[in-house]
Amino acid sequence: MKNLPAYIVLLPLCSALLSLALSKIHKHLGRDVVFGALVGSLVLSVVQLVRVIQNGPIHYIFGGYKIPYGIEFSVDTINAVIVIMVCMLGVLSCMFAFNFDKNGDALQVGGAYTMHALLVLGMVGMTMTGDVFNLYVFLEITSLTAYCLIAMGGSRGIVSAFRYLLVGTVAATFYLLGVGILYSVTGTLNMSDMAACLKQGNNDSAMLMAMMFLISAFGIKMALFPFHGWQPSAYTHAHTGARPLIAGAMGKIPAYAMFRYLYCIYGKDFKYFRYVLLIIGVISVCGMIYGSVRAMAQKDIRKVLAYSSVAQIGYISLGFAIGSPLALAGAFLHMLGHAFMKGGLFFAAGAISWKYGTFDLNDFGRIYKRMPFTAGLLTVGALSMIGIPPTVGFFSKWYLACGAAQTHEYVYIFVLVLSSLLNAVYFFKVIEKVFVQADKNRKPLHPEGKGVTEAPITIMIPVVTCILMILLLGVFNVKVIDILLISLKGVAL
Amino acid sequence: MMTQIETILAGKGIYFLTLLLLTLGLYGIIVSRNYMKKLICMNIMQVAVIFFFLCFAQKNSGTIPVAMKHIVHAVEYINPLPHGLMLTAIVVSLGTTGVGLALLTRIKEKYGSIEEKDIIEGEKQFR
Amino acid sequence: MRKVLPLILIVICLGASFVTLDFLPEIGDPSSKPNTHTTDYYIEHATTETNAANMVTAVIVDYRAFDTMYETTVMFIAGVAVVLILASHPERKNRIRFRKVRKKESRDGKPVYRTINKEVVIPLIEPMIMLYAIYVLFHGEISLGGGFQAGALLGMTYILDVMVIPERDSLIRLPKDKSTALGGIGTFIYVLTGILCMAGGGVFLEYEKLPIPMHALEKHSTGMLLVEVGVAICVMATIITILNGIMERVHFDDDTD
Repeated sequence: MKNLPAYIVLLPLCSALLSLALSKIHKHLGRDVVFGALVGSLVLSVVQLVRVIQNGPIHYIFGGYKIPYGIEFSVDTINAVIVIMVCMLGVLSCMFAFNFDKNGDALQVGGAYTMHALLVLGMVGMTMTGDVFNLYVFLEITSLTAYCLIAMGGSRGIVSAFRYLLVGTVAATFYLLGVGILYSVTGTLNMSDMAACLKQGNNDSAMLMAMMFLISAFGIKMALFPFHGWQPSAYTHAHTGARPLIAGAMGKIPAYAMFRYLYCIYGKDFKYFRYVLLIIGVISVCGMIYGSVRAMAQKDIRKVLAYSSVAQIGYISLGFAIGSPLALAGAFLHMLGHAFMKGGLFFAAGAISWKYGTFDLNDFGRIYKRMPFTAGLLTVGALSMIGIPPTVGFFSKWYLACGAAQTHEYVYIFVLVLSSLLNAVYFFKVIEKVFVQADKNRKPLHPEGKGVTEAPITIMIPVVTCILMILLLGVFNVKVIDILLISLKGVAL
Repeated sequence: MMTQIETILAGKGIYFLTLLLLTLGLYGIIVSRNYMKKLICMNIMQVAVIFFFLCFAQKNSGTIPVAMKHIVHAVEYINPLPHGLMLTAIVVSLGTTGVGLALLTRIKEKYGSIEEKDIIEGEKQFR
Repeated sequence: MRKVLPLILIVICLGASFVTLDFLPEIGDPSSKPNTHTTDYYIEHATTETNAANMVTAVIVDYRAFDTMYETTVMFIAGVAVVLILASHPERKNRIRFRKVRKKESRDGKPVYRTINKEVVIPLIEPMIMLYAIYVLFHGEISLGGGFQAGALLGMTYILDVMVIPERDSLIRLPKDKSTALGGIGTFIYVLTGILCMAGGGVFLEYEKLPIPMHALEKHSTGMLLVEVGVAICVMATIITILNGIMERVHFDDDTD
């Protein structure tokens, strides 16, 4: 089992590469292979987390060379947990996408699942890699597959994808420029080696300039406030089958990469560390308010969720800006929780649109009569977004606030409360539409009987799993925080 | 003073030129209203970063990194690592440009134009 | 306003970068960090450890082979993405048109490509290009060359064939469903090489553990060759895929102005 980290990335890769060839034999063979491989990755990633907790961090070097020369995968408890999150969302959204591939020839169906598996692969690789240039390659895999999946969403999808392509390439270029500056002063590409080299010399101005480029690069990729322009339309117009994965997981992985740079490579010895954290704090505070305010004005549930993502990403980077162990743990808990919340809400919205072909909030009037289960799960997800106690949304905000109180940053606590209140405004609007507003004459896309008719089981399993994960993460939050703190102890402020 | 500037320009002027190229590309992406021009400017940015990396690989009086019997010291070969890395970056930029051009083809078909204002006008017709 | 504001920002950025450029190493300085820290190891050990005289090849397909695997995957993604994006065309009535399109005048005379002498291109030039491609492929680790270049040359042969005689079916036909599958299989050969190393008891892409009866250095050469073959197939298939994607549009795109 010494090759465990390699298997986790190789399974989706092999399935994706063979999916097109297998689709020529039977239309859905490629899709089934992709699904099986993603399930395999999920199982292996759980095994990996158990091993990391038992035996400490795993360092896996490809090609069997010594550390700064070969490419390394370094897995600690934080990224082991995030890998599980990504694989889980990948499996669920692959299952969800089964319902949206009815029309289309073998090439289109096989190609879509190829892209799906490669998107999961790119995100898993970005999380586990310990090499700055390898991270760039995975970043590009993630972006290229995302452009394609967004472009498959139809007439507006192509324009959104093209805008994202321009902005995303600028981000990748900035990232490469930051890496270039760091490489010019250290001469290495390995993260741990780079951290050691940066501590030796007097490189503060180079590090500051590289950090500016890196923050803007990751800021664009994770849709942090001033760089979020591409995000709402991309999330809105992406292919329905891939939307939960894109919205749920894609923004979180660059955030983790930013954490890697801030705390693992730069570290608190960096002279301008406080200023960098202050900048991140200010932009995340602005994003939290801005995203919530914009979300209130939207009528399309996809747009509401997309703008609320701008706000929620701000919570994660706020945790990085506070920097105490509890705040960082809270940020990661929010990263996990928000992935499942947003994934679950998009799955639920997808269930409604599978039946009625609409995302407009005004068409949701008393939808609970026809789809009570979906409406209930949607409500739990929305309550978690607001932060009602048994769900994970409350606990992650609680830990963030505790962390802020530890370092006496009371402004951040105030903004947290304010943003939560704004969240409550627009999510109660959604809940009101689902339960209270007058019935509408909706035309079902698929033939249905009288009374309760839910979406098919392959849509309901992802919704239920996501909501269950929200509750489980909320109930067992102490356990998760303990696991995260194992790795955070050494790096936090 | 003049000699100081001259030594800086001789040693580090090349970085300034690559950064100029980069900012030109960025300016073009922000300002131009034709999507094809934006794509070209994006390409210029990528090329600038490739130049930037290759600058580190240069060694005075170094030769190409193919091992020869009569040259033994590491100083006499230029640095192979940035060249290898930039091969990856070139392939990535090629892929991005290809996908971008395919998207532009679709946009042109659907909206009849690749000018920004026409596309924004056309977008209102779809949900 | 839209043009002035970015210009001011960019001038400020340039000025700031000019002031702070002093931390970057001087160009051509042999004792700068990037030219010493890890590079010395690569230059000194490439020949003895990997049996490849070309150090760039040694770096990309041996020390950093994992990167190159994903680079090939990016190539594959680009091909599949182009096909998927161009897969659906909107019907004529669903398109938006803002300007009246001028009627195309009928062309006089033959298109340029029809004037190429087929008897020279097909039997003479195409075999030469293929031969050169194979030379570049097999000679990659010793002198300059490698899988990407070989794949591009092979793909070019196909393009030339299609361009010179568009009405005749070529000897090997690769429609887009076959060429995308072939691209996947090409990359899979790369992955398979790494998996074979794991089957031999090593880590992923550790060529010394390839389960074939050979000397350790020869195993490195064999591993590199297998990898480069995979890369060449993938690049060739991707180029053909993109060609196929565009060729469908040639007849369709009749309303350009």
